[in-house]
Amino acid sequence: MTSRPRFATDVNYANGTAALALFGVLAWTFVNADFLPPLGFGEGEVTRSIGFAMFDMLELIPDGHGETEGFLVAFIVIAVVLDAALDGAVMLARREGEDESLVTALADGGRRLTTRERDGLDDSGPAADSGPDPAADSWEGED
Amino acid sequence: MAIVTQYYLVLSAAVFCIGVYGILTRSNALMFLMSVELLLNAANINLVAFSFYYGNLTGQVFTLFTMALAAAEVAVGIGIILVLYRNFEDIDVTKAATMRW
Repeated sequence: MTSRPRFATDVNYANGTAALALFGVLAWTFVNADFLPPLGFGEGEVTRSIGFAMFDMLELIPDGHGETEGFLVAFIVIAVVLDAALDGAVMLARREGEDESLVTALADGGRRLTTRERDGLDDSGPAADSGPDPAADSWEGED
Repeated sequence: MAIVTQYYLVLSAAVFCIGVYGILTRSNALMFLMSVELLLNAANINLVAFSFYYGNLTGQVFTLFTMALAAAEVAVGIGIILVLYRNFEDIDVTKAATMRW
């Protein structure tokens, strides 16, 4: 069985109309809202000021860029969270059992061998597109 | 010439509703993950638009943190999807109806 992409056939279009209705309401509200012209940032590089704000160097930010607080603590916290997320992802992806190597986290899970392939009778590679192979159900493994 | 704020809000609403549409119509966990990403990015567009509207940088800096949080969320989400596939041999979210199996 190949795994080429196909059009989704299990799409629930009836639920999707709720999202379209939501967009209608939101767009109608926003188009009819009254906004003043935006103040903007005036002179000075915005990107540079973002860097200064992120590392608590507020005195270097030009006056035209408004009152900005420092974000150094948030920066450190996010760095820790990203590190924890990386560890969590590796922990989740690691296969329990005999093989604890990191390689299993990078593999795609593979596909079940047919009975013929497992016995070494069929070395022609993946079968042509013939739908689910009934012989694959005879695979005996831990579940 | 500055773009009026309403256009940013309509763009943000469109991105948000595409994300909601994806969550409501699909049952594939990867599609869910991508749709949640669209929801987060719609919020980011709003933060940047109002940052420009008020001439205050805080919204833009906050957007960077939101993006980092989104990356962390995707890392954990993909790990969960891997476990889902391993245990149910499918990533259809409607099939994972039990906490223990």
